[in-house]
Amino acid sequence: MTYLFMAYSVIWTLIAGYVVVLGRRQKELKKELQLLEEWNSEK
Amino acid sequence: MKKNSGIIDRLLFFTLVPSFFIALYLVFIWSPVEKFMGAPQKIFYFHVGCAWVAFMAFVIVGYYSVRTLINPNMDHHIKAGISAEIGVIFTTITLVTGMIWGKSSWNTWWTWEPRLATTLILWFIYVAYLFVRKMDGSWEKIAKLSAVFGIIGVINVPIVFMAIRWWNTKLHPVVFGDGKNQQGGGIEPDMLVALLFSIFTITVLYAFLMRKGVEIEKMRHIVKKAKTKAMEKLAG
Amino acid sequence: MNSIFKDAWTIASKDLSNEFKTKQTIGMMLIFSSLVILIFSFAFDPTNNMVKAVIPGLVWLITVFSGILGLNRSFLSEHENDALTGLRSAPIDPSSIYLGKVLANFLLVTSVQIISIPVLFILFDYRFIGKIGWFILVVLIGTLGFIIVGTFLAALAANAKNSEMLLPVLLLPLLSPLMIAAVQATRIILENGTITNAVSWLRLMSAYDLLFLAACFFLFEFIMEGS
Repeated sequence: MTYLFMAYSVIWTLIAGYVVVLGRRQKELKKELQLLEEWNSEK
Repeated sequence: MKKNSGIIDRLLFFTLVPSFFIALYLVFIWSPVEKFMGAPQKIFYFHVGCAWVAFMAFVIVGYYSVRTLINPNMDHHIKAGISAEIGVIFTTITLVTGMIWGKSSWNTWWTWEPRLATTLILWFIYVAYLFVRKMDGSWEKIAKLSAVFGIIGVINVPIVFMAIRWWNTKLHPVVFGDGKNQQGGGIEPDMLVALLFSIFTITVLYAFLMRKGVEIEKMRHIVKKAKTKAMEKLAG
Repeated sequence: MNSIFKDAWTIASKDLSNEFKTKQTIGMMLIFSSLVILIFSFAFDPTNNMVKAVIPGLVWLITVFSGILGLNRSFLSEHENDALTGLRSAPIDPSSIYLGKVLANFLLVTSVQIISIPVLFILFDYRFIGKIGWFILVVLIGTLGFIIVGTFLAALAANAKNSEMLLPVLLLPLLSPLMIAAVQATRIILENGTITNAVSWLRLMSAYDLLFLAACFFLFEFIMEGS
């Protein structure tokens, strides 16, 4: 039973970890893009 | 075009969430507990699903690599890369769950079972592929080099599988039966339903992650363009 | 088609005569493989029975490790004075560059093996009882496969800044089926086992060689094109 628990916790942590990484990437890029667009339209 | 892709995204998301819970229900509650292996056998469903997606992702890397070579195109290049990235995640899951399962049913963390060993080598090829993509240089150059490596890697995988299987059967008689799922003579229909459904769920998850990843990579290129534009403005 | 082989031979003889003059790479490879043997004889006590079990693996370990050194040089040396651009703009088929490099590297590695494998047998006090003709055949076919894939990936890795580190990471996973087959075939022959078993491994190795030779031959021009 512990093995079952171990296996599934590994699966969920890895998938969740990847989703978090993707989310963070998107957030950073969005921020950067917003900043640049503001900057570009300003002058 | 943009609206259309949004609909596909939403569709994927709304099939993903319920099928995810249905898969969990099927695996943990609905499907019978295996007589010989007991509860740890339930690792099997998601293990096989992840293994399937890992191999599929690699075939997709090969497919987009060929298309990149024929027609150098940013879109194909990005898709191959994201597919490889997701492939690494699922190969890691397959390896770790395979090891845990091996420990529970054969009392050893690692055996040189052909499928497990092929998956390990697949993992190394994926990582090497991602290293090739991390090279510096223009994207056209990297696209070409990584596509070439992707093709060579895809050719290699079946040969690895054959070689390891041969190696095993020649060294010692087959101990574990022909494969994992053939233990105890065939698979029960209830288990098959749960297995097929979890494979379906993970494939949908792959498609969803793939779309998100591609979107993010495209955004990165838009940011790059905006950056050069800003720099030009600064310069004059 | 004929001109490809002629051009390939020109490039190979250029590399070899270059090497013959300086003797840098081949010397390094020889010293390195002797050092690997030395380290392994500390790791596995050569006086006990383990020797028989590790010898087939060691033959291939020293080949691969010293071979990677030579492969690294084979394209990096072309970066000096931008010689690669010269090769690329020469009126020859890019595939002939590949074939020439394969030929040169193959001769280089086999000439290292001619010395390092006997040294291995002597230092491990190994009495050779197998059939020597078959042993040489296995070594040649295995080395050829290693060089075919290795030269191709060396050309690929040469584009990166850290190509010395990149090459083994790319090469070793792709070599794994070849290495399994080569080590098993060598073991069967050294232990004087039935030749038919070794032949089936040899067949796998030849299939690997041919498949990757064809694939690399056609894909090589994509590596040479841009950059």
